[in-house]
Amino acid sequence: MSKVLVVDPSKCTGCHRCEMWCSLTKYGEINPSRSNVYVIRREPAVDVPVVCVQCGLCVDVCPVEALKRNGKTDAVVVDAESCTGCGTCVKVCPYGVLRIDEETDTAAKCDLCGGSPACAGHCPHGAIRYEDAGKAAARRREQWATAIAIKIS
Amino acid sequence: MYGYTGNLLRVNLTSGEIKVEKLDEKELRKYMGCTGYAAKLLYQEMPAGVDPLAPEAKVVFATGAVTGTLCPSGGSYEVCYKSPLTGTWNEARSGGAFGPKLKYAGFDFLVVEGKAEEPVYLLIKDGRAEIKPAKHLWGLNVEETTDAIINELDDPEVSVAAIGQAGENGVLYAALINDRGRAAGRGGIGAVLGSKNLKAVVANGSGGIKVARPKEFAEVIDKAEQWLKNYPFAAIPEMGTVGLLSGNNAMGMLPTRNFQTGFFENADKVAGEVVNRKYQIKRRACYGCSFGCGRYTAVSGGKFATPPMEGPEYETADMLGPICGVDDIEAIIRGNFLCNVYGLDTISTGISIGFAMECYERGLLTDRDTDGIPLRWGDAEAVVKLVEKIAHREGIGDLLALGVKRMAEKLGPRAEDAAIHVKGLELPAHEPRVESKALAVQYAVSPRGACHMHPNWPSTWDFQVDCGMKDLGIPWPPTGGMQDESPVKGVAYRYVALQGEISEILGACIFHSWGSEGSCLTPQLYAEIMKALTGWDVTAEELVTAAERSWNLKRCFNAREGFDRKDDRLPKRISEPIPDGPSAGARVENLDRMLDAYYEAMGWDRSTGLPTAGKLKELGLEFAVG
Repeated sequence: MSKVLVVDPSKCTGCHRCEMWCSLTKYGEINPSRSNVYVIRREPAVDVPVVCVQCGLCVDVCPVEALKRNGKTDAVVVDAESCTGCGTCVKVCPYGVLRIDEETDTAAKCDLCGGSPACAGHCPHGAIRYEDAGKAAARRREQWATAIAIKIS
Repeated sequence: MYGYTGNLLRVNLTSGEIKVEKLDEKELRKYMGCTGYAAKLLYQEMPAGVDPLAPEAKVVFATGAVTGTLCPSGGSYEVCYKSPLTGTWNEARSGGAFGPKLKYAGFDFLVVEGKAEEPVYLLIKDGRAEIKPAKHLWGLNVEETTDAIINELDDPEVSVAAIGQAGENGVLYAALINDRGRAAGRGGIGAVLGSKNLKAVVANGSGGIKVARPKEFAEVIDKAEQWLKNYPFAAIPEMGTVGLLSGNNAMGMLPTRNFQTGFFENADKVAGEVVNRKYQIKRRACYGCSFGCGRYTAVSGGKFATPPMEGPEYETADMLGPICGVDDIEAIIRGNFLCNVYGLDTISTGISIGFAMECYERGLLTDRDTDGIPLRWGDAEAVVKLVEKIAHREGIGDLLALGVKRMAEKLGPRAEDAAIHVKGLELPAHEPRVESKALAVQYAVSPRGACHMHPNWPSTWDFQVDCGMKDLGIPWPPTGGMQDESPVKGVAYRYVALQGEISEILGACIFHSWGSEGSCLTPQLYAEIMKALTGWDVTAEELVTAAERSWNLKRCFNAREGFDRKDDRLPKRISEPIPDGPSAGARVENLDRMLDAYYEAMGWDRSTGLPTAGKLKELGLEFAVG
C-alpha cells in the first residue's frame, strides 16, 4: 500500500519550515505563499499544518482533465501543459489546499514530491509525517475519536 | 539579487513621503546586511548628538540575507537606533514572523524618519507602503492593537509590530512587540516609535526570496539540519530558556535581589520545570526556526490569572522573580504578560523594580514616594502593581520609567552602588562574576551597554565550545578556566565577539552558533549557506572581516556620542565578592587589564579604547576616521 501525509498539530511549533521547503523544492525560491502545504498559525496557540489528502474531488471537476492520479504514489498531480488555470478545482477543494500559482497561472497542489515529500522529510518536530496508509488511517481514527469525544476534566 | 530583496524602504513621517531605494550589491556585500549595513546607514545619515526622541532621529528595521530563508536560525530582524535610555547605538533583536514578512513584502530595510502629526501605523505589503491613521489605536495595548489591525485589514496573515502604552508614554525602556509575544526589547525602541507617533508597523507579502543555487542551497540546509541534531545546548529548546534557571542557581550564578547575590533559596518554585509542567500549553517557534525555544503558557485562575501568551523566557523569569526576591511563578507569568501587552522590556523593568526595592530597604525611598506600597523583597503583588504603574508612568512608576541610571542620579550617591547597569542599560540575568570573565568584558564593551545578546554570549567559549573559530585563530583550548582574568581572555574575546557578530550581520538568531564543526552553524557553514543563497563566493574569513567592520563602526557611532574607554565600566557591585551561596567570593578584579588586552587585540587605541585610523582604513571605513 502506498504512503500518505499525516499531520499531528500538537507537535507543530508553527515554524513554517515545511512551506519553505515546499517552495524551494518546487520553484527554487523560498516563498511560503508559493507552497502546497499550509501552516495555519493563529492565536491563541493554534498551529496546524494543512496538507492535501489526495482525495481526488478536483480530478472529477476539472473541465480539461488536467488533474490525474499518479499510479505509483496515488497523488493527484497537475498537468501544467493542459491546465488552463480556470480555478474550478480551487472552488471545489474542501480543504482549501489547491491554489492558482500567480507566476505560472496554473493550478498548484501537493504531488507528494514523487514519493519523498520535502515537508515531511524536514519537519523538525515530526508534526508532518509520510506514513504507510494503514498506519496513517489508524492515527487519523485516533485523532478523530479524541476530537469528538466528550471531554471530562 | 539573490538572498536579499535588494530594496530599502524609506518613510518620512513628517512629510508623508515614501521612497523605495535600490541597494548597491557591492556595498551590501561589504557589510553583509542587517545590523552591519544599518550601522553604516545610521552613522552616515544621523549626525552626532541627535536627541533619540526628536523627529531628527532615525530608526532602521533591518533584516539580513538569511532572514526568512531556510537557514535554521533565520527568524530574526533587528531594530537599530540611538537609545533614549543610554544615548548609545542600540540594536534590538526579535524573532517571530515580522522580519521574514518584511522581506516577503519586498524589503531588506525599513528606514523611519521624522514624526507624524497624529498617530499612524505603517502598512507594508507587496513592494508598497502606506501610512494609515491610528488615532483609534492610540491608548490600546499591544494585543488590542494587533487584533484591531488584523480585523481592519481582514488579513490574519499580517505580522504586526506594535508599541503599547509604555511606548506612548515614553518609558525609557519601552519595547516594540511583534506577533504579540516577541520583543525587540532593550534600550527603549518603544519610546522612540512613540515619539514619532508611530503605533505599529505591519508587514506581509507574497514575494519570495530568490536563491542563487537552489540545489546547492537545499543540500547545505540539509547538512545544517543534520549538524544541529548534535547541538550541544539542545536542553534549551527542550525546556525553553527558562529551563536554565535551576542550573544557574545551583552554580550560584542566578542574579538575585538586585545582584546582591547569585543564589535564590526558592528557585525550585520558579524554575523551568514548574513552567513546563504546570503552565505550558505548547512549544512555539519563531518563523523558520527549527529550534522552537518558545513556550506558550497561561495561568488559569487565581489572583495572577493570565491568558495564553508567549513566555516566560529565562531573563524574564529571573528579572520579575529572584531579582525582586519573588518566588511566585504565577506572578512572574502575569508580570510577563503585562510587559508584553504594555510593551515593556522585562529586563529593565525587573531591575528597576529590584533597585527600588533595595532603595526602599535602605530608606532611600519611603512609603511617601511609593504611593504607599511597601517595596519589600518578595512581594509579588507589589511587582505586578509596579509593572502597571511603570507602563502608565503613574506615581512611583514615573520614576521607575527612567531606568536605574537616572533613578540613581535622582536618589543620590548612596543609591549609586545599587544601580546595576553599564552605560545606562540594566544588566541581563547572567552573572558576570561567576559565569565567565569573558562575559564581564562583553558587558563592559558592548555598544549598547550590558548585553548578553549582541554579539554573543562569550561564556560559550569558556564552556569549551570553539564555535567554529578554531581554524580562524581562536586560542584553543581555553586556558585558565572561566574565572581566568589574564590578558589571553581579551585576545580570545576578540574572536568570540566577531564570531557572534556574524549572526548579527546575517540576520540570524544567536542560538545555533554555539558548538563546533558538526554541531552548530559555524562561520564556515554560514559561508557555505551564503554562497548557495547569494551566489557570492563568500568565505568564513570574509564573514569575519565584515563582522569586524560592523563591530568597529558601532564603536565609532558611540565615539561620536562621547563614549570611550571611560564608559567601558561595570557596576561597582560586580567588583565586590558575592557574599554567599555556591559562588561565594567570586568577583571581577582585573577589568582594566582585560580591557587593555582586548583593545590591543582589536587594534584599538589603549588609552581611548577607540579604533585607530589605521584599523578603520584597513576595514575600508575611511569615512569614520576622526
